[in-house]
Amino acid sequence: MTDLAQSLIDALALGGLYALIAIGVTLVYTVMGMMNFAQGEFIMLPAYALYVLAGLPFAVAVGGALATGIGIAVLAERVAFRPVRNADLSAQLVTSLAVATVLQNVVSATVDARAQSVATPRVLSESSQIGALSVPNLEILTLVLTAVVLGALGWLLYRTRTGLEMRAAAENFEMARLLGVRANRVIAIAFAISGALAAIAGVLIVMQTGQVSPTMGLTPVLVGFIAVVIGGFGRIFGAVVGGLVLGALSSLLGAYLPDGLVPFRDAIVFSLPVAILIVRPQGLLGAATGEARI
Amino acid sequence: MSGGLRSPASAAISLAVPLVLVALTAAVGASGTPAFEETVTLILCNLVVVLGLQVFIGNSGVYSFGQLGFAASGGYVAALLSIPAAFAALQTPELPKLIADAQLSSLLSILIAAVASAMLAAAVGWPLMRTSTLAIPISTFAFLIVAYNVFANWDPVTGGSSGLVSIPRTTDVASAGIWAALAVVVTLVFKGSASGYRLQATREDEVAARSIGIGLMRERLIAFTISGMLCGIGGALEVHQSGVLSPDTFYFAASVTTITMLVVGGAGSVFGAVVGTLAVATVNELLRNFEEGAHVLGPVSIGETPGLAAIGLGLILLATMVALPQGLTGGREAGEIASSRRRLRSRAPSTPSAAKAANGAGPRPARGSAGSLRAEGISLAFSGLNVLREIELELSPGEALGLIGPNGAGKTTLVNVLSGFQAPDSGSVLLDGVDVTGWSPARLARAGLGRTFQAGLPFAGLTGMESVAVGAMGVGVGRRRAVEVAAGVLRRLGLSEQAQSPAGLQPPGSQRLLGIARALATGPRYLLLDEPAAGLNDEERRELVAILSGVVEDFGCAILLIEHDMNVVMDLCSRAQVLDGGGTVVVGSPEEVQAHPAVVEAYLGTSYAAGAHA
Repeated sequence: MTDLAQSLIDALALGGLYALIAIGVTLVYTVMGMMNFAQGEFIMLPAYALYVLAGLPFAVAVGGALATGIGIAVLAERVAFRPVRNADLSAQLVTSLAVATVLQNVVSATVDARAQSVATPRVLSESSQIGALSVPNLEILTLVLTAVVLGALGWLLYRTRTGLEMRAAAENFEMARLLGVRANRVIAIAFAISGALAAIAGVLIVMQTGQVSPTMGLTPVLVGFIAVVIGGFGRIFGAVVGGLVLGALSSLLGAYLPDGLVPFRDAIVFSLPVAILIVRPQGLLGAATGEARI
Repeated sequence: MSGGLRSPASAAISLAVPLVLVALTAAVGASGTPAFEETVTLILCNLVVVLGLQVFIGNSGVYSFGQLGFAASGGYVAALLSIPAAFAALQTPELPKLIADAQLSSLLSILIAAVASAMLAAAVGWPLMRTSTLAIPISTFAFLIVAYNVFANWDPVTGGSSGLVSIPRTTDVASAGIWAALAVVVTLVFKGSASGYRLQATREDEVAARSIGIGLMRERLIAFTISGMLCGIGGALEVHQSGVLSPDTFYFAASVTTITMLVVGGAGSVFGAVVGTLAVATVNELLRNFEEGAHVLGPVSIGETPGLAAIGLGLILLATMVALPQGLTGGREAGEIASSRRRLRSRAPSTPSAAKAANGAGPRPARGSAGSLRAEGISLAFSGLNVLREIELELSPGEALGLIGPNGAGKTTLVNVLSGFQAPDSGSVLLDGVDVTGWSPARLARAGLGRTFQAGLPFAGLTGMESVAVGAMGVGVGRRRAVEVAAGVLRRLGLSEQAQSPAGLQPPGSQRLLGIARALATGPRYLLLDEPAAGLNDEERRELVAILSGVVEDFGCAILLIEHDMNVVMDLCSRAQVLDGGGTVVVGSPEEVQAHPAVVEAYLGTSYAAGAHA
């Protein structure tokens, strides 16, 4: 029983982390219809900020990571993504691939192409006793952060003018513009939030693995993409569900997979969602899209 | 030249220029130092992979990030089949003895790698091509990571993350050049085949492609498989060049490099793939020299900087997407670039020789069958709003039926139901007595039901000739015959003049007619026209009426015509059906309909009364 409860908490924590990543991908997708490969680098660069600021107090380093995530996301939007804002999905995807490549290799060239280890605060590698369960503090932090972020995002989207503008832009960008929504502002805000979410995810990943590498964003961004796809494109709630499903799947497979298959866990985790897409091309929560043009 | 899809001269140039480029590259490589020759050999191997990408990405317009997984499978198959048995026993202890001891010749190992990669691509593509256009880039990216995960962790068979060594090094610049030349031929032949054209039609417009009988998943899967085969060959060649293979050889970095090559050259053309590969490889090699620390401009030196080449690659890709999204070649073949230059000087004359493949050219079913297109009790509601209510409709062979009604009456929705784009909530559609409710648009098109769209939905990147010919190809007509059919239809509709210029660049009137021509080329028995006259000026409208009035007779198909302009309906149709609010108001001869009080009130009003005197 405790084993199962333990597994479920592990699953929920990993799912929460994945949900944070997926929300970041979704936000950008909703306001400009772009699947952003560079979201993985928005995760990787803040992680490197932690590495570079390792000597400073932890809170300062985390602040630096957040600033890095927001800064790089806003900068990438301004420099690279604004010129292709009206291009088709493929062109935007390839553009974001280019941005990802540049950022990855700038880190390779300036820091190192190999992974570097990062010291983590001891309190995060300890566990707390909750009833009969011993829960790692990092998982508690992840769950709390996910809850706080979801709450804050909900408040922003549904209780503020900016949120209303973002939702309007997500529904019909051109119409929203005609009604006075400032496109550049809404998109920049979406990127900033997306960068902040990625930074949080990046910090959590470093706390978990204790290391950084230039390609560390690759698997998370795929996780984010797949979560978005199975959650139904462009739905925040869908992204959360997609993230939780993927996290739970990955975590439970890790716990219950026979030893010989454990190295292939990622292969299995990434294959199963494709099966979902074949049965439901519109994702778990997505509505069937109508033929709007005819 | 309106007699063919592309003029023979243009086709010859399109083939010759890339081949000459490949031959020149190989010759330059052979004349350099051994190290330079090896570099050029690798570039040619890379070219085979990039051509593989072009087959799928270029023709479908959908990005796959997983094709390097097939290069990896090709590389592993070729390596495992050709590594000397003694080394195989050390590196891959659990490899089946048959494979470990095979020690095949390189050529044989490459051929088997090609077949294996094609089979893997077919097996992987079968489910992946069923995902949506939005999801394919992501699901193929997932495949790349899954493939990497398997190759890197299946130690006893693949050597795991440390990879394989002692692979016979047999690929030289000549053999790589020959394979690259073969790959150029394969990609060009595919692009010009009926299957290639059908896939390009889906790239230009998915909805219109389905309306002419094209099965989206099938066409994508064919190209995905051929692409996998070419990538597998490229991967096999590459491991026989370097002699080593690690899972990282064909992973994310290689994906970015090959996609950059394709995009920079222009994904739409084989010429672009070749130009892009050579251009990007050249820049890449220069940057790599800097990476190792080179002296630039005498005293200025750059230190050892790994990643510099990749940064350069990323910036080139970024600059291309921002400034030149169609790539250096504009996505056009060498012959097309040459002939568009020529066209600037003199308009290509239309050849009357195509005329002999005239009116009766379509695949014509036996006429006069007792069947008809029938809608029985069709009802449909969108989120509680009744869009169609118990609609009955019958379109008999050879007749022209007008479907009229105010905006929002449900006319287009009814056409969508009849043509399979929208499933009704209840009721059924019968095609010559067969219940076809729930059939896909493509299947209905192949069964003889054609349609056009209010928005036109032209295949903008194809020429007029190609967009019409692909209509015939869509329902399974062979390439040669499709050209004859298209020439006949184009001539009949008076479009032969502009047949060789891109559909997207033609005036609205011509585009509208091209849409009708495209549907006619499928040889329909029933043709549904959704407001063909909308947006045309008076002259174009008169022309259209003149053309349509001959269509029923010449092409032997019945027409369902959605039209706002009562005069057009009067001129063309023997019967008219009036919809309002999703229900039928009246069916009858145009005169009866015109006189019906509900129609006068609900739809025609006073404006028609005024119009009738004009």
